[in-house]
Amino acid sequence: MPGRWNREGDRSARETQILGWILVVPAMAAVGALILYPLVKGFQQSIQSGGILFGELPGYVGTRNYRDVLNDPTSRDAMRHTLEYVLLAVSLELVLGIFVAVTLHRVFRGRGFVLAVLILPWALPSVVSGVLWRRVFDPDNGLLNSVLLHLHIINQPQVWLASGRGAIIYITLVHVWGVLPLISLIFLAGLQSVPDEVYSASAVDGAGPWRQFRYITLPLLRPSMAIALTVGTLLAISIFDEIYVLNGTALNTRSILIQVYNTTFVEADFAHGTALAFVLAAVTAVLGGFYALALRRSTV
Amino acid sequence: MAIAAALFAASCGGSSSSSGSSASSESIRGQTITVLVPYVMPQKLLNQFTAETGVNVNYVRTGWDATHNKLIVANTAKTYIADVAEFDWSFTGQFAGAGWVEPLDNLLPAKTLADLKSTDAAFVSGGKTYAACYSNDFRLSMYNKQMFAKAGITSFPATFDELATDIQKLQASGVKYPLQIPMAATEGGITPWYLLTLAMGGQLFDQNLKPVFQTPDSAGYKALQWEADAVKNGWVSPGSVALNDDVALNDFLAGQSAILFATGPGNLPTANDPSQSSIVGKAALGLVPGVDGPGASFGLPEGLSIPVTAKHKAAAAAFINWWEQPKNAIAIYKTQGSLPCGTSTIKQMVATGQLQGGDVLNQELTHVGPLFQAGAPIWYSQFSADAQGLANAAVKGQMSVQDALTQLADKASARTQ
Repeated sequence: MPGRWNREGDRSARETQILGWILVVPAMAAVGALILYPLVKGFQQSIQSGGILFGELPGYVGTRNYRDVLNDPTSRDAMRHTLEYVLLAVSLELVLGIFVAVTLHRVFRGRGFVLAVLILPWALPSVVSGVLWRRVFDPDNGLLNSVLLHLHIINQPQVWLASGRGAIIYITLVHVWGVLPLISLIFLAGLQSVPDEVYSASAVDGAGPWRQFRYITLPLLRPSMAIALTVGTLLAISIFDEIYVLNGTALNTRSILIQVYNTTFVEADFAHGTALAFVLAAVTAVLGGFYALALRRSTV
Repeated sequence: MAIAAALFAASCGGSSSSSGSSASSESIRGQTITVLVPYVMPQKLLNQFTAETGVNVNYVRTGWDATHNKLIVANTAKTYIADVAEFDWSFTGQFAGAGWVEPLDNLLPAKTLADLKSTDAAFVSGGKTYAACYSNDFRLSMYNKQMFAKAGITSFPATFDELATDIQKLQASGVKYPLQIPMAATEGGITPWYLLTLAMGGQLFDQNLKPVFQTPDSAGYKALQWEADAVKNGWVSPGSVALNDDVALNDFLAGQSAILFATGPGNLPTANDPSQSSIVGKAALGLVPGVDGPGASFGLPEGLSIPVTAKHKAAAAAFINWWEQPKNAIAIYKTQGSLPCGTSTIKQMVATGQLQGGDVLNQELTHVGPLFQAGAPIWYSQFSADAQGLANAAVKGQMSVQDALTQLADKASARTQ
């Protein structure tokens, strides 16, 4: 009899194992076909020559394409712009996100309506928000010039997206406008998980609002901050739509992704385009890993 | 007739009124083809084609730059995108060199090809014709006669000095920004620089394809400086630095400016179409100004091609042949603004008085030449993309004209090595 039980137990375990594979294989196939295969093909392309379109024989060129894009002044400018987008966007999103979350955490009349309005920019596709903001920044017929001229703050129309640093700030603001609701909701969820008793106890101990914020809210929001930082950075590093709609492929606002697009699809230079895309992917992976580590530390 | 002669001096002439096509047989009936072209096409005309051939058409229109990029991606991936696709003059070196399109020599009737021979020269590579011209495009100017009259100007300026004087007169008469020049970092935004370079008596490259636009005494340098000065002097609106050619045309049609620089001949019918323009009857064509008299211009013909990945090549050929028939080409010209390419079509338009601005077109054609003497090089896309960004940065004042053109010349030299 024990032998029979063992055999039945083995069969049950085997069936469980087979069922597990049956459930996992489709997902593995999808990941393999949609992520791993393009990744391998893309990497292969990034170490190949441009081919006959570039007056070269097709073949393996090692790291040449990577060296080319890292030494190309236009690509380097795009990397610098992307870094500026990320630093500015993430800083603004964290500060404003906490501010909005703390404000909305309090119960006040019309809070539900404010929450609904807050989510609207996030619900809009980034291309749509870009088109809306183009109406604001348009130098000839835009709302911003019109209002400032009317108020005599400026005496001639400004081309807002023509300057270097200014244009990056304006585009970042448009990006932050779209992402801020998500970041605020992440912080709001974090705030709602903080027990009210903690605040009550600290109030009894004489802590004022600022000390409560400094010593209770901020430390307890650390996991939310790690999530917000990760989401904000990944969204900012892959900024594309807002730039493309507002300022096209102009050099002064070009991000790495715009440079990848231009190199790959306008110049038809897939070898250098994929090399640059892999550089961006590597940076994103390193940042993602760093944030994942920070998140783990903050939650353990 | 002089117009037809000038347009197609090398053409064999003759009528190609036959609607017959080697492909218009029962075998294509019931097929559906996808056509990818950056210009609108009235559904009524497409329905006529379907009625004649039994072939259904899925007409996809996207902007010029988007069309170009879609074709690059699909062709590189060797995947189907359309049965009939846009083929710009600038594609020839790249697309033919990569083997992305079918030669049309055996797909279209000989009579149709002969009728297009002159303009199709831009699409010939290695002795094979890769597209059938549908837009006999070259650059010239368009102006608002009413605004000119109000400013007391009786004729369109022939030189850049006269243009400067007239712009001041137009501003004095109340036109805030008289000139409309697209300068965005797009293909449409870089075309005016090419045109100005030729109009100022120069070239972009020498016969060995070495760049000749980077020294201050070169026409290319003066041309870009002229554009940058036009922004600084307030001749163009501040937003011109972010303006694409289609938006520039729309602004001109809305009566916002007096002169549209670097436009195509087919835009005059559009300006006189009440459904698309608010300056009907007020627009006229003008020659491209030059240094001592009318300046040089260049042709940018656009054609229809059949990608090698097309699913219904015979039906695609039938569609191209249908488009090229005088009756259809003229109907498309009236609605879409593409000046036809066929000799017989132009002759018919001249004879029936349907060619708008014919005298100016005739004069401008004597100044039209190719931008690249030996045809568009294989690296044109890369050069153009570089030029778009750098010239745009120069007109915005983000870098000097010298720096922009030095960088562009360095990049161009590296490409040609």
